[in-house]
Amino acid sequence: MANSYWVEPDVKFVRQLKTMGGDTLKKCYQCATCSVVCPISPEERPFPRKEMIAAQWGLKDKLVGNMDVWLCHQCNDCSTYCPRGAKPGDILNAVRGMTITEYAWPGWLGKIVPDARFWWLLLAIPIAIFLVLLGATGYLKIPEGEIEFAKFFPTLLVDLVFVPLATLWIPLTFGIGISRFMKAIHNNAVAEGKAKRNDLNIPDFLKSLVCTIPTILSHSKFSQCTANKDRYLAHLLVLFSFAGLFVVTNIFFVALYILQLPGPYSQANPVKIFANLNAIALLVGVILMISNRLKDRGPNVGKGSYFDWSLILLVLGLVATGGLSELTRLAHLPSIAYPMYFAHLVFVFCLFAYLPFSKLAHLVYRTLAMAYSRYALREPCE
Amino acid sequence: MEKKLGVYICKGCGIGEALDIEKLEKKVPPKVKICKSHPIMCSPEGIELIKQGIAGEEGVNTVVIAACSRRVLYDVFDFGPVIVERVNLREGVVWSHKPEEKRMTGGEEGEGPRVDELIQEMAEDYLRMGMAEAERVLPPEPYKETIDKKIMVMGGGITGLSAALEVAKVGYEATVIEKGPQVGGFAVKMRKQTPSSYPYEDLQEPVIQQIIKEAEAHPKIEIRTGLEVARIAGSPGLFDVTFKQAGTKSKWDIPEPVEVDEGAEAPPQPPDADKATPEDPANILAKDTDADRFGAIVLATGWKPWEPQEQGAAEEPKEGEEPPKEGEEPEPKEEGPNYEHLGLGKFPDVITNVALEEMAAKGKILRPSDGKPAASVAFVQCPGQGTDEDFPYASSITSMVALKQAKYVREDGGDDTKAYIFYQHMRTPGQNEYFYKSAQQDDGIFLTKGDVVSVSQNGDGLVLEANDTLLGENIKVSADMVVLGTGMVPITRDEPVLNFAYRQGAGFRDLDLFDGYPDSNFICFPYETRRTGIYAAGCARRAMGIQECIEDAAGAVLKAIQCLESAHRGVSVHPRSGDMTFPDFFFQRCTQCKRCTEECPFGALDDDEKGTPLPNPTRCRRCGTCMGACPERIVGFADYNIDSIGSMVKAIEVPEDDDENLRVLVLACENDAYPAFDMVGLHRLSYSPLVRIIPVRCLGSVNVVWIKDALSKGIDGIMTIGCKFGDDYQCHFIKGSELLDIRMDKIGEALKSLALEKERVQQVQIAIDEYDKIPGIIEEFMETIQGVGPNPFKGF
Repeated sequence: MANSYWVEPDVKFVRQLKTMGGDTLKKCYQCATCSVVCPISPEERPFPRKEMIAAQWGLKDKLVGNMDVWLCHQCNDCSTYCPRGAKPGDILNAVRGMTITEYAWPGWLGKIVPDARFWWLLLAIPIAIFLVLLGATGYLKIPEGEIEFAKFFPTLLVDLVFVPLATLWIPLTFGIGISRFMKAIHNNAVAEGKAKRNDLNIPDFLKSLVCTIPTILSHSKFSQCTANKDRYLAHLLVLFSFAGLFVVTNIFFVALYILQLPGPYSQANPVKIFANLNAIALLVGVILMISNRLKDRGPNVGKGSYFDWSLILLVLGLVATGGLSELTRLAHLPSIAYPMYFAHLVFVFCLFAYLPFSKLAHLVYRTLAMAYSRYALREPCE
Repeated sequence: MEKKLGVYICKGCGIGEALDIEKLEKKVPPKVKICKSHPIMCSPEGIELIKQGIAGEEGVNTVVIAACSRRVLYDVFDFGPVIVERVNLREGVVWSHKPEEKRMTGGEEGEGPRVDELIQEMAEDYLRMGMAEAERVLPPEPYKETIDKKIMVMGGGITGLSAALEVAKVGYEATVIEKGPQVGGFAVKMRKQTPSSYPYEDLQEPVIQQIIKEAEAHPKIEIRTGLEVARIAGSPGLFDVTFKQAGTKSKWDIPEPVEVDEGAEAPPQPPDADKATPEDPANILAKDTDADRFGAIVLATGWKPWEPQEQGAAEEPKEGEEPPKEGEEPEPKEEGPNYEHLGLGKFPDVITNVALEEMAAKGKILRPSDGKPAASVAFVQCPGQGTDEDFPYASSITSMVALKQAKYVREDGGDDTKAYIFYQHMRTPGQNEYFYKSAQQDDGIFLTKGDVVSVSQNGDGLVLEANDTLLGENIKVSADMVVLGTGMVPITRDEPVLNFAYRQGAGFRDLDLFDGYPDSNFICFPYETRRTGIYAAGCARRAMGIQECIEDAAGAVLKAIQCLESAHRGVSVHPRSGDMTFPDFFFQRCTQCKRCTEECPFGALDDDEKGTPLPNPTRCRRCGTCMGACPERIVGFADYNIDSIGSMVKAIEVPEDDDENLRVLVLACENDAYPAFDMVGLHRLSYSPLVRIIPVRCLGSVNVVWIKDALSKGIDGIMTIGCKFGDDYQCHFIKGSELLDIRMDKIGEALKSLALEKERVQQVQIAIDEYDKIPGIIEEFMETIQGVGPNPFKGF
């Protein structure tokens, strides 16, 4: 039969998925309760039932290029109702992690970022770069007098690292990953009949992307969750505070290089107030996320794997070191403030440099998948 | 025996309020020694009252108790050798009718008789019927013979050996007869067995070797291998069994069975059976020193694998063979479809689950084609082709075996070895669900429902195509081997096995009703076969796993012991357990029509030298089918005979010239229908008071003479109510209700010749839990009878 799908189960993939938080995937017996209870699954060819058997059979090609796994917001209503103790929500989360790894470029970095054995290496890279940079320019010491971070780590040196990171590294690596990803989800959607159109038209896609933005900003998918509705607020706070801090960073960039106004800025500065508010929101958001993860929603539901926790802890470290450097600076404690600032920069580096390889990549992949789903007429534009 | 009747009427449980007891007492004829009533007859004072009558100068020896149903308080109303007759006033009259309604019957004008009067008439009839029956029954005497209590176990597999051990452990002797050269059956050919204890997840080492050791060492167990049964003659307690070397012919072999068509007119006299036997089997134990006598037999002959036909075997007639004649159906091949699309016989790497098990027991799983380890094995549980049928004789065992063997594949190969299971039904009942879960959670076991379309060669390996899988599409997988999950066929399907020297044939009857399994009724009467004294266990009874076989063996052994102890005491086995009566034949009047011989559901009757029926009392289950069948009415039991029931029918008073006050006779099977009538009373439902119910042992025991008697007496309609018959029969004696149905067909013609309407006689099938339907059934019949009008024979 010509239209038969040649199945080649990959036992290794099954094992991998299990270590990524999909440990229960083999428990599924295909009753489809998950697809029925899912509040956000589309009516036609709904997930996650079909993803579950693909996962059990180790059918990597049906999972990593599957846009549906990105439509899932891990409410875990499915995991709560599963009669067999399988956790479809967590398994799709694991599949998303493997998707990021699958399309990452360079591949080796894609492999070591989600690998718990290499956390030290990921931290060591920025530390080494910064130490070499500061050592070579003769800055590697605690400066005297009024605390000014620029005296310890000149802004120029910071930007020497971060500007190429943001303008070259991320666009290059992530660009490759994204283009692989887009091709894959398009081909998969066409092959499985999930797409109602077979072409890939950029202007139409951009229109869909625009119509996806309100969904993301309003977190309307999260708000449909029952089992895990607490995630709505946590994720909202984190997303918006990051966005706010991104705006702040750009304003200060302009202030420094165009208006020639170096910091530190007064605490009464409205931009500064906005920045501090965002930092507090981020802290609250990330603490909420942690407490949500630790909450008991059935046996091990939604606890997450290293892949999830590494991002959460990174963000926590980022906001903690950022806040503490500011507080200790104001408290005139140079011996704490400067190392804290150094640590803060290390975390910022990790966030940026590993963006295409870490869980943070979902920011882009999920947005694109949601946009594609609208483009392919799988979901309506809101 | 001179009958001295004592009639005792109870007034309790509402009887006294509903009926005019004094009026009832007046109906008792003066020749009755004692007639007394008591407010509560089952109380100590009531019992004392009866005992006084028995012990006193009246010397009552037959007690008629008009109180509750015979189905309750039989232990309270037990007076030793005294005959006790029960008249059912409680459930049968006052609870199932509404005596408080003193209205008139007969439409709105109410011109008919009053309801309470009709109910009083009913009670009076029942009392008369009870007294009439009491006059004509005798206390039963058990038929005792000197019996042998040794038990023969046929089959030396896991079930047979377990059965022998069970027999020996309770102190009886067992002889195991095994056809093969050694005992152990298929269990010794297994690598592992499915789990039998918590957590029900891991495969277990087979227990068979331990059981073999125990059985061989037990002093009360004799194991004989390489033997088959040439003939089983006699009856429970007295089975004379002759053996022969397996696969050979013996001078004791029984002749070809006489084909009988049940329920048909008497066939011509069969050829003298003994002529076909080279040696006269009479007194066989003296002639054949190897023969032995047994009390009961446990049938544990197990199963054989269902095998599809060889490729292309059934296609065209071979050369020189005559093509089938026009209009003549070619003989269907007994094994059914051959499933060519699955490639068995075509590709060496397509094998059955039985072949895989034997391979796995010997060593690693290797491809038959090249001896290389199998890295991927696909288990096919159903032939597919657009149906959701499993392979013939597949069962939950087939599912369990597929899961077990998938685990073997994973055990033998590396971490990346794959086992696929394609099924339509994954059956893992009870605790086996845990085993299913454990297999499912193996990373390399892939399960899906699916319709397997084809297996074909693909380079070095095989490729399997399946449609409608859980993956949402049609799929192909490559596999090194394909294993077909064929089922387990009971040996009894194709071979008589037991070789009965019975008039009804060497094997079991109506095997096709149960696909060749020897059950008499799988659900209601486990272990029982249609041959008394033979109890099936293990895979001879249904497909089961090792642990179930061991437990099943115990069940069959208990039945076998019950049977031989019952034979020893001269009483019946289930369902009339403990019944001391047995059918008495008045052979002087026998015309040798052999209806009894043929109709007996248990083959209790053989022929003697002259062709007269020869009863074997311990084979008999006392259903009375012979009595119902006999046109000469020469068969009867001490307490249940043509006369006893006939006189009850005659005791019914039929009002003459009254178009409203009709009479309907109900002959109700005491197994399901009569209890259902009692339940009607218990639930205070009601039916017409014009009905008179007589319980019978089985509808098979209903002799048409009762129906003729009733009609000639002027009774307007007759219903026989009994168990369901046909494929899903519920008859406790297997054939009773079906046989009566055939007899009734014939009575319909007789009625026509008498210018009586066919509708006056009707048979109804009912189950015990359908009591709620009874009022409706009666009402409908009453309407039918009212439609055809009163019986014209009234008053003649």
